[in-house]
Amino acid sequence: MAVEQPSQPTIGDLIYDKLFHNYVWRSIFRTGYPNTPRNQMLVVATNVFLHLHPTRIHRTHVKITHTYCLGGLTFFMFLGLTVTGILLMFYYVPSVDRAYLDIQNIQTNVQFGQLMRNMHRWMAHAMVILVFLHMLRVFYTGAYKPPREFNWVVGVVLLVLTFLLSFTGYLLPWDQLAFWAITVGTNIAGSAPVLGPKTRFWLLGGFEVGPDALIRFYTLHVIGLPLLAAIFMAVHFWRIRRDGGLARPL
Amino acid sequence: MATVVVARPALRPTPRARDEEVLVWPDLVFVEFISALLFTALLFLLSYLMNAPLLDEANANVTNDPAKAPWYLLNLQELLLHMNAALAGIVVPTAWLIILMVFPYFDRETEGQGRWFAEVNSVKNTVVSLMVGFWGTLALILWNSGKVALWLKDWFGFSGGDTLAFLERSAALKDPSIVPWPSWADSIPYLWFNLKILDEGPGAGVTTFQKIDLPTLLVDIGIPAGFMVGFSCLLIFGFWRIGWVLTRRDALITLMSGFVGAFLMLTIIGTAFRGPGQDLIWPWDLRTLEGIPGQESH
Ligand code: HEM
Repeated sequence: MAVEQPSQPTIGDLIYDKLFHNYVWRSIFRTGYPNTPRNQMLVVATNVFLHLHPTRIHRTHVKITHTYCLGGLTFFMFLGLTVTGILLMFYYVPSVDRAYLDIQNIQTNVQFGQLMRNMHRWMAHAMVILVFLHMLRVFYTGAYKPPREFNWVVGVVLLVLTFLLSFTGYLLPWDQLAFWAITVGTNIAGSAPVLGPKTRFWLLGGFEVGPDALIRFYTLHVIGLPLLAAIFMAVHFWRIRRDGGLARPL
Repeated sequence: MATVVVARPALRPTPRARDEEVLVWPDLVFVEFISALLFTALLFLLSYLMNAPLLDEANANVTNDPAKAPWYLLNLQELLLHMNAALAGIVVPTAWLIILMVFPYFDRETEGQGRWFAEVNSVKNTVVSLMVGFWGTLALILWNSGKVALWLKDWFGFSGGDTLAFLERSAALKDPSIVPWPSWADSIPYLWFNLKILDEGPGAGVTTFQKIDLPTLLVDIGIPAGFMVGFSCLLIFGFWRIGWVLTRRDALITLMSGFVGAFLMLTIIGTAFRGPGQDLIWPWDLRTLEGIPGQESH
């Protein structure tokens, strides 16, 4: 009976061993570098971020043309918006005296300020488009069907939250575009029968877009809505796992 | 000699086709990583090429004309031009969101999930519904903005005069000279006391009488609501008759695709074709378009 003899370790193996099997690496990642099926599954199962995924999935679901990564990219936009948003918050004060000047300041005096503002703006638009396309992807693949009914409903809530996040952010530059867009937008809300005027008043903190509206929109934009969205996303992702991963033909 | 038997349940509750599965690391994580990288690069490029718009400082005394909501609300703003404000701004979006949420409770069939366009006629169904929603909405917008009547007149010398003024705008139907409304029709009282929540805001006084304006109600709510509900039903019914809609799923595909078509057209018209005074214009005549370099007025 032929017994396989262990080969001599190469220099590469030695470096690999030093890099990934040392005490510090092990204390952080527990597993070695994910180059064997065992380690690859362990790394997904033991890492809190990767643990959003199962360790293995059906092969049709890694095909780009099944999801076009739309849900994942929507989430990625959310993360990017959080990062660029925090950077913008360093310089922006939500008062009618300062808001506009702060934006100008960000664009002209802050290192990479214009870039950060542009990124935040275009990512916000991208997120709205991506979430809409994600919804269409889910619909046309029939993925809302049982047992994923409730996750579809959670998705619709996320769709609304995404719109609201973008809408509240729109006022913050405090320029003419922002002011009139929010005036028009909240007028739409104000047209509701019976509760409309009340809703509009409550949204704006007054009858017109002014300082109270700015601070309300700011607070909703930077903490209230992101928190809600994060909670619903957590439920959304959890439910995908609980409902048995992505939908596939029975 | 001992034989090791690997214990295996004879019947698994749900057979998992392990052979069909791949490892998340590397297969999925790789795809996610590349698409994230790609999007980061694209967004950096976009941000390098195009600045976020910043107009003059907000001024409540200088109206922006056209004053526009963010682009994803311009579909609603476009609807507002054609019907009662509460119907366009509140009822339609709320109703649509509720309809969306009800989808999976209406269509409970588990078949056909997890595959693009799994049903027999779904591609045809989708494309045609999309087109009907898209071009049908354009036709309605052109009709209600008087363009159709204008072209009929310009090209064929056809003019309906006053009696056919509703060909220009549905609002003409409110005119007593076109439709013989009785004199009491535009002020039917329905509330005799002051309901505070109905009467708030600057200049609000004591409401002693609240009245219904019947012609306005019919024309601004009845006609558009009739069109929206009627067309959707008609389309689904028609597709059922020709055998494209067989199941609830098919009906939802018709509804969703028609909606997407209408939504796209409304958004496009509202964004690119509405100028000062919300008049229909060509996009190249539009001044302040968001993010087009050199077009921000400072
Ligand atoms: C902030 C918004 C959202 C985020 C971040 C998000 C994220 C995701 C992700 C990452 C997935 C995994 C598969 C994929 O990428 O397609 C997914 C699946 C899913 N999403 Fe969303 N989503 C959002 C909004 C929505 C909306 C608006 C809907 C529907 C109205 C929806 C319904 C679903 C359903 C039903 C699934 C399961 C799909 C399947 O089993 O194939 N989601 N979502």
